[in-house]
Amino acid sequence: MRIAGPSSSARKARAERLAPYVLVAPAVLIIVALRLWPLALGVNFSFTGDGELNGTPVGLGNYLELAGDPLFHISLRNVGLLVLLLPLAVAIPGLLATFIYLRVPGHRVYRSVYFFPAVLSPVIVGAIFNLMLGYDGPLNSLLGSIGAGPVDWLGDPGIAMFTVVGVHVWATFGMALVVFLAGFSTLDSSLLDAARVDGASLRQSIWHVIIPSLTRTIQFVFVTTMIGMLTSMFGLLFVMTSGGPEGATYLPEYYIWHQQGQMNRPALASAASTVLFVVMLVVGLLQITLLRRAGRQD
Amino acid sequence: MVAALAVAGCGSATRTESPPGQAQQKQQKLVVWDWKSGEPVAAAYIEQAKADFAKRHPGVTVEFVAQPFDQYYTLLGTAIQAGKGPDVMLFNGGGQIRDRADALLSLDQYLAQDKSRLAGWDAFSKDGKVYAAPVTLQGHPIYYNKALYEQAGLDPAAPPKTWSEFVSGCAAIKKATGAACFALGNKEGFGIQFFLSGLGSGVLTPQEYDDWIAGKRDWTSPGVKRIFELWKDAGDKGLNNDGANSTAMFTDVFRVFETGKAAHIIGLMSDIGHWNDFKEFLPPDKIGVMQAPVVTDGATPSLPYDGGIGYAVAKWTKAPDLAADLVRSLTSTGALTAFYGKAGAIVSDTTIDVSQAGPAVATIASGIKSGKPALHVALSSKTLDLMGRLSQQLLSGSTTVDKALEQLAASDRKG
Repeated sequence: MRIAGPSSSARKARAERLAPYVLVAPAVLIIVALRLWPLALGVNFSFTGDGELNGTPVGLGNYLELAGDPLFHISLRNVGLLVLLLPLAVAIPGLLATFIYLRVPGHRVYRSVYFFPAVLSPVIVGAIFNLMLGYDGPLNSLLGSIGAGPVDWLGDPGIAMFTVVGVHVWATFGMALVVFLAGFSTLDSSLLDAARVDGASLRQSIWHVIIPSLTRTIQFVFVTTMIGMLTSMFGLLFVMTSGGPEGATYLPEYYIWHQQGQMNRPALASAASTVLFVVMLVVGLLQITLLRRAGRQD
Repeated sequence: MVAALAVAGCGSATRTESPPGQAQQKQQKLVVWDWKSGEPVAAAYIEQAKADFAKRHPGVTVEFVAQPFDQYYTLLGTAIQAGKGPDVMLFNGGGQIRDRADALLSLDQYLAQDKSRLAGWDAFSKDGKVYAAPVTLQGHPIYYNKALYEQAGLDPAAPPKTWSEFVSGCAAIKKATGAACFALGNKEGFGIQFFLSGLGSGVLTPQEYDDWIAGKRDWTSPGVKRIFELWKDAGDKGLNNDGANSTAMFTDVFRVFETGKAAHIIGLMSDIGHWNDFKEFLPPDKIGVMQAPVVTDGATPSLPYDGGIGYAVAKWTKAPDLAADLVRSLTSTGALTAFYGKAGAIVSDTTIDVSQAGPAVATIASGIKSGKPALHVALSSKTLDLMGRLSQQLLSGSTTVDKALEQLAASDRKG
């Protein structure tokens, strides 16, 4: 057996030491060039001015303006509202998936009907519901025929945000439903049979058998629904309320678009984007922590 | 991450100015951005303008890029930020062009010959310099449904002259036909802009009006306060159609008027929402145009209008002479006549004869000479945005006129 000389073994060692760096370099470069660098540019841009001040550093000026802008406050408050409404948005597909799993009459039809809205674009969904929810629209006529007064679904600042969230949930819960059904397929049916034999009611089987067995699925749906709510409501808002009435349905995304495109304030929009980025970072990290903890329990 | 931010913190991500006009001869292509050229009604207009330009500059190709209007200013903002993009671009008059004037070429030296032929220059000027040539005139006539007037026993040929006549006429119409007084769409907060401009000349004295346009705006004056009180009263007293805050301006509200659910609408003169649009449901002889009813003594009603849309030249264009010449073709009498004929727009060229198009157009055309710039066009887009939200609050009762005016005055002072 030939023993390599000291110089050749050193070279080999160095090559081996460098190899991992060379191998990850393309991925790192892509991330740096296409993700982090633009991000840094955007953040940097948020410290400059707009209009006549274009390009001149204004320090924290844009951030101070955001802090004093009631519209931006509303948009952040609405993010909070979305987080509060999250359990509802998860419970609805969860419950409906349970019914399908328990084979209620017509469950095959329901499975496809529930998924159907998920293939529609938000613009189409928004246009449909604009007609449905108009002040002189069919829903209010229906309410009128049973003696209830008309509700200004999209024109009342206290109601509009709930309306839009409701439509968003309607349009997207099909996807979560599919995930739940996938989770059910891993459920040990003998547990349910045992519960049934022991005389457990429907509520008891859901609470003591189904929910504990589906913890991970539920958590996954929580995370994806949260992301969906925070990042893909723009289309619906744009079509259904344009941020109104009285600015009550602003979300950070809409605010950013509005400042950049309508008010010609790209630097202010960059500042708002940076704030949104930080918010999403915090939410994302919280979710990762949550998932890790859940993973350990299993 | 933090390091990356810190390093980038002191650089700048601004637009770089492109080098000034070089090699004019070499550039044989001009790019135009607008949101009109894709519409069938504008086809004849664009054809005429292209032909006119081709006659004078045979070697130059012109490419029209029609952008969706929803995204137009977003896309344009990106182009401006990058310092490159179209050579010629379409703008709405007022805030939209003034906010972006520093990216545009001053056109005074190129358009001197067109100054008297075209109307509506003010909306495209900033600090005494013209940045675009007007194509259409945009204004806010008050249209009324003559059929509803007849049904209520009112004389459609003599619309009310004062506010009290107007309100009592509306009451009669409501009683006879069930139609609301105003078709109002304030979902986007645009309704208040039309209201302010449409009725303002009946409230403010000519002096107050001119001061407002000149930038001396007293938001606490009784006249200005009166306009916003009228807005609130119209809502409180049920003069508007139901659900005004959820009725969209450019789609739903015109339908309310066309289908006879409301007797009046403060509409537009060009593009959409004007006499030519309404005629699908309302025959031209059933559409009237009235002056703003007089609310306070001493007010002289006038037609509020400005330059509607106009073509501007980008600062970064490599061929400013050619681009400016294209703007001249786009505002030539031949092209504008075609636009008026096909789209029914009230165009900026005052030499075109419009007497054939029916009473509503004739009334509008006769008001152009004595007309004045619209009140809301003088406001910055930021103030308009705020006014939209405050107007919704006034209708829903969650703020008062005094509080709203206070905020508007503060926003207007900041510019």
